[in-house]
Amino acid sequence: MRINTSRFGRIEVDAADILRFPSGLPGLEDCREWALLADSENDALGWLQSVSRGDVALAVVCPRRFVPDYQVRIPRSELSPLALTDMRQAQVVVVVGKTGTTLTLNLKAPIVINLEARTGRQVVASGELPLHYELSHHRTTLKKSA
Amino acid sequence: MLVLSRQRDESIMIGDNIVVTIVDIRGDKVRLGINAPPEIPVHRQEVYEAIQRENQRAARLEPGDAQGISRFAGRGNDGPTRPPEPPRR
Repeated sequence: MRINTSRFGRIEVDAADILRFPSGLPGLEDCREWALLADSENDALGWLQSVSRGDVALAVVCPRRFVPDYQVRIPRSELSPLALTDMRQAQVVVVVGKTGTTLTLNLKAPIVINLEARTGRQVVASGELPLHYELSHHRTTLKKSA
Repeated sequence: MLVLSRQRDESIMIGDNIVVTIVDIRGDKVRLGINAPPEIPVHRQEVYEAIQRENQRAARLEPGDAQGISRFAGRGNDGPTRPPEPPRR
């Protein structure tokens, strides 16, 4: 499958690698199919590229590489659409944003991917977690979630 | 908008499988209990709207903006949240 992207040019993605997000993502509800790409220059970074909209891509990272004490509690109702039979099938990534010149991570709404079923969903985690966790060299400890 | 008066422990039904119960009323705060099928997501509106805005903003990030993120990365392998291994571009 070929996707003409604004960031990466024309890319070829195996149809079997397409991830389906049946509910889309909040704010990007029309984007149901995504491809997860590795960044060629940056092994900590991935890109969720929309299949239908070449101009839409989200930078994603594995949260624990950046926030070692990140523990995510997700209500069962949020996870059940993913039909995970084993949590080892689940890959959790968070979306990278930017405030001014500071890169941020959306720890409140991680994306959970069922690697077996190739389905994904952005969930709302329980407790007090920041939507804009600022990346800095001074490690801040996450507030204990309520 | 349909407006209904309810007392504590009373409920309303939305369709035939969503029940919203007034669990507690204290001052200007109302606690609601919501029973809905798993395929119906329930969110606090302001949280959901903030996530919508954040996704739309994040979708404008360019590769150049995200370079440098590795400066903040720790060691890679941490079990279920290990880094993605998708096709290389």
